[in-house]
Amino acid sequence: MSLREHDLTLPIGQDAIKELRAGDLVYLSGEIFATAGLPTHDRLLRCIDGQEELPFDMRNGALFHLGSLNEEAEDGSLRIVYMNPTTSTRFNGHMPRLIPGLGLRMTGGKGGLSAESARAMAEAGCVYLGFLGGGAEIITAAIRKVTGIGWPEMISHYRIARIEVERLGPLTVGIDAHGNSIYDTTLEAAAGRREEILARMRTQREGT
Amino acid sequence: MPITDEMIQTATRELYSRSLRKVPEDAKEGLRAAMRTESNELARRTLDLQLKSAELAERKDRFVCSDSGVPTYFVKIGSKVELGCDLKASIRRGYEELVDTIEPPLLKHVTNPLTQERGYHGKDMPIVSYDFESGADYIEMVCSPKALGSGRWAALELFTFPSLEQIETYVLDVAIKAGAQHCPPVVMGVGIGGSFDHCASLAKKQTLRPIGQVNPEPILAQMEERLKSAVNALGFGPMGTGGDTTVLGVHIDYSSGHGFTPVAVCFNCWINRRTSVKIWNDGRMEWGE
Repeated sequence: MSLREHDLTLPIGQDAIKELRAGDLVYLSGEIFATAGLPTHDRLLRCIDGQEELPFDMRNGALFHLGSLNEEAEDGSLRIVYMNPTTSTRFNGHMPRLIPGLGLRMTGGKGGLSAESARAMAEAGCVYLGFLGGGAEIITAAIRKVTGIGWPEMISHYRIARIEVERLGPLTVGIDAHGNSIYDTTLEAAAGRREEILARMRTQREGT
Repeated sequence: MPITDEMIQTATRELYSRSLRKVPEDAKEGLRAAMRTESNELARRTLDLQLKSAELAERKDRFVCSDSGVPTYFVKIGSKVELGCDLKASIRRGYEELVDTIEPPLLKHVTNPLTQERGYHGKDMPIVSYDFESGADYIEMVCSPKALGSGRWAALELFTFPSLEQIETYVLDVAIKAGAQHCPPVVMGVGIGGSFDHCASLAKKQTLRPIGQVNPEPILAQMEERLKSAVNALGFGPMGTGGDTTVLGVHIDYSSGHGFTPVAVCFNCWINRRTSVKIWNDGRMEWGE
């Protein structure tokens, strides 16, 4: 079976998102949003509760868990020196509300999200894209332009960077918009194999 | 000629900087070997991408991962070493010079756990442990920057007179709990016995052992093989999207102890950050991985 690959451009509609299946590969162009900050996610929740203004309108967009060294030069131009994913499960408590609240079509990072997030994705029409952890140069090479930095008063990787990318990828559809999560499937399969693996180890020990 | 402040500072800076940019050769060889045996197509794509990422970072002299972690050093002082500096102060100065001058700059990952304040400096940074080597006329320093991705899945439990089966079951359960959060394929380090602190240190040091080196203790050599195939049979695969390659190696060390037996498990992600240097009395520096 060969892998399905998709070239997609943001912003993106629900129909295109529903075409994607867990295990597919995606190359992404257009504008994405990136942050790796836990305090940033707390702040985003305050925004959707109406306590603060969002720095960007992210509807039909992609918010990824990516840490970046971003800076504003003296002439006001913005640049990103390097960018790489962070552990998404740190945001398990935030994403079920942020996905519908921000109107996201895509989220992602590394390690996946909880089943509760997967349900929120299925309801809202959103997918999770898995990045290569330790893929800084591959990911950074897809950056074309930084078009905005939200909350610049925070430390670099906590800010929200709005970035134009060209063929960012390959990214893996880890959770699709139909409730399929590779992360949950592999975890369940691993737990299911535990007894059989332990029995095999017992036989191996007795054979030595 | 004694070992100088300048030599220790250079070693401290260079070890950290090099570990961020270069995936060790044995780890790359481990990924290549996995490509040949991996049955899952998506997993093979990921392994290939990992090798590409490693090559690109090395060629461009850039970081493989954006998370530079926190600096940890293991220092071994030979009994015949002539020391011409305050070793602890030199390491600290070397680290402080590094965070001010490294190119590209690091992100601020050093966190005060009481206030969540983040920066480059903090109490006990860098984390250094010291040991001695009888008869050696050199200082050996090993650097292993550690970040949350693989760092947070380490675990330790205390047993009383555990059987090998209990030990291995515990290690497997820690692997199941970690899932693929630690950016597999990883190296797992396991410590058995000793005391709470010593056992944790044994496990951590085993993550730094070169992949493919056979354990000189036959009981452990067999346990390593059993656990490697057991963890790989869990099926998490590279970056957790399924496959036969979750660990490149399970490395185990033990210490005699009392009947209370700690078992510690920790992980090093696929980029296997580790660098080493030996600094001789005559000023020679030999760099290793």
